[in-house]
Amino acid sequence: MTLTCEELVDLLVDYLGGELPDEQVDAIKSHVCGCGSCGVYIETYQLTITVTRALPKCEAPLPPSCEARLRAALGL
Amino acid sequence: MPEPPADVAETPPLTPELVFREYAPRIYHLARRLLGNDADAEDVTQDVLLQVVRKLHTFRGESALPTWLHRVTVNAALAHREKRANRQKHENATGDDATLEGNSEPPGGVKLPRSSPAAIALQGEQRELIDRAIKRLPEPFRDIYVLADVEGLPNPDIADMLGMSVPAVKSRLHRARQRMRDALAPHFEEATP
Repeated sequence: MTLTCEELVDLLVDYLGGELPDEQVDAIKSHVCGCGSCGVYIETYQLTITVTRALPKCEAPLPPSCEARLRAALGL
Repeated sequence: MPEPPADVAETPPLTPELVFREYAPRIYHLARRLLGNDADAEDVTQDVLLQVVRKLHTFRGESALPTWLHRVTVNAALAHREKRANRQKHENATGDDATLEGNSEPPGGVKLPRSSPAAIALQGEQRELIDRAIKRLPEPFRDIYVLADVEGLPNPDIADMLGMSVPAVKSRLHRARQRMRDALAPHFEEATP
C-alpha cells in the first residue's frame, strides 16, 4: 500500500489517535522514510498537540472583580 | 439541559463554597477559551454556577461533577454565543469582532519547546502565544480544538456534546490542528541533531 502526501495528511487524526490498522501505519512510516517534508509536517503537527495539551486548564485564579460578582450572585 | 448524574461514592457533601473554590476557575477558563473574551466568560460562569448550586442536592459526591460541568459549560457557552450573534445582528454590527483579543498580532520571537509532554512547563509568553492562536481559530474549529486538545476529551464525548458525528468531529479537529500547526510551526525551537 502506498500513500500520497495528501492521503497521509488526511490520516493524521486517526494515526495519532492509534486508530489505524497496521497496514496503514506501515504505509505512513514507509512514506515518511522517503519524504522529508511529510516527516517535518507530522512532527510539527504532533508538537502542536503536545504544547496545547501542556496549557494549564485553569492557570490563574478568577480575576478579583469577577470573583466578587460571582460570589454576590451565588450568595457566598 | 442535561440532568446531573447521581454519584454513589461515599464522599463529603458538596457545598456552594466548595464548588465555587474547586470549579469556578476551570469553568471560567474553559468558557473564556471557547468565547474569546472575559465578559462573556464571566456571564457563562455565573450561569453555570447558578445551575450547579440549584442542583447540588442531587449530587452525593463530586466524582461525577466534572464531566457534567464540562457539558453544561459547553452548552452555556454555545447558547451565549448564539445570543450574542443575534444581538449583534440586531444592532447592525459590522461583523468586525473587535472584542476578541485573538485578532491582535501574536507576540514575535517566542519559542516553543520540543519536549515530551511530561517535561513541558510553558512560560507565560508561550501560553499567550498558543492561546492567541486558539482565539484566532474560527468558532466551529475553536470549539472542537479546545475540547479535544486543551481539555483532552475523547472524540465520541465531543460528538455527543456538540450533536455531531464522530467522523465530523475528527474532520473538523484535523482542520483546526492544521491551522494551529501553521500558526505555531515557525515558533518551535530548532531540532537538536
